[in-house]
Amino acid sequence: MLRLICEVLAAGIGTVAFALIFHVPSAYYWRCGVTGSAGWLVYSLCLPMFHALPAMFAATFAVVCISRFSAVQMRCPATIFLIAGIFPLVPGLGIYRTAYALVTNDTSSAGDIGLTTLKTAIFMVLAILLGLELPSGLFRKLANADTDSAKITTNKTKNR
Amino acid sequence: MEKDEKLVFETVALAGEVLLTSGAEIFRVVDTMNRIAAAYQCQNLDTFILSNGILISTSGKEHGSQAKIRHIPLGGSRLDRIDAVNQLSREIGLGMHSPQQAYERLKQIQKMPSRPAWQQVIASGVGSGAFCYVFGGGMWDAVAAFVAGLVLYLYFLYLVKGRLSKIAMNISGGALVTVVALLMLNLGIGSNLEMVSAGAVVPLLPGVAFTNGIRDIADEDYISGSVRLLDAMLVVACLALGVCLTSFTYNYWIGG
Repeated sequence: MLRLICEVLAAGIGTVAFALIFHVPSAYYWRCGVTGSAGWLVYSLCLPMFHALPAMFAATFAVVCISRFSAVQMRCPATIFLIAGIFPLVPGLGIYRTAYALVTNDTSSAGDIGLTTLKTAIFMVLAILLGLELPSGLFRKLANADTDSAKITTNKTKNR
Repeated sequence: MEKDEKLVFETVALAGEVLLTSGAEIFRVVDTMNRIAAAYQCQNLDTFILSNGILISTSGKEHGSQAKIRHIPLGGSRLDRIDAVNQLSREIGLGMHSPQQAYERLKQIQKMPSRPAWQQVIASGVGSGAFCYVFGGGMWDAVAAFVAGLVLYLYFLYLVKGRLSKIAMNISGGALVTVVALLMLNLGIGSNLEMVSAGAVVPLLPGVAFTNGIRDIADEDYISGSVRLLDAMLVVACLALGVCLTSFTYNYWIGG
């Protein structure tokens, strides 16, 4: 349990670090961190219940939804949150394992792991597509309660 | 009036250029350009945007037509610029800027400074360490990945600085990360080579190209989308090749 909390925190910290590399305006760091953490939390919670692929699907979908919600609320492009928030889910370990198996001449496991990594990527693609297809009115309605505070934030950003 | 028309056209073109060089999706570039054009009553704007080029034209009222072609190399990601242009186009839509002001603001956005190099280096280290831990590495593995991430960005920002092609950069980056990971492990920091390397490789992963490529394809901009996805796949392949090179050499000469 403690490990899970630490992992979720680490995912958030890592996401903020990458947000900085991609030059996200510093006003959005918090949101990016929360988005990344939420993605990993959903993945970790779904993993014991389902297979790894549906868990990845759910996590990516959650990241896309949160990004779009934040975009409506903060009046800025969803890309800002999406690009940073998706990083904890990109299968870096799978890519490394595939490369390593290739080197050690372990062709069968290279194919195995490589295919799993590819499947993970495809499930992420599907989740992103589904998340983008959701009507934007839905997010506007969800964020509507806070529209006034969002307006104030927009003005602040403008003045800076 | 003629001058104004020209300025509006330049503004629209510049907005598109800034967005595209900052790594925005095609749909956003087209949308923003149309919005600005509509706000300034620039009629008959036609746009054709690819991931590495802009072609736009208008047919003006009296003075014939204007056209512009810009080649834009596949660039890095400057989300701050995308956000700023987005904000500006919203304000233009509300009628808050004259074309002259908008043009000057875009020039300012184009010159927005990038983050200081040391911040990027530390961010790369922190990101590597954090993701090493997320993937299941231990505390010391994360420390080793942190060092590898630092070295990687020091190498990129101070040594490479655009001297190498993207392919050479990624192959050497992947190789360097693995070298540092092996070195740390042999020094007794960290115990799981797999975790350390996987964490340290994360700053190289093409998350932006991947995400934007999918978005472009979802918006039916197939050409730009496939170019970006191809870019992402090539980066991953180069990275894996770099990792392979180092591991192979190590296993062959030292590991036995």
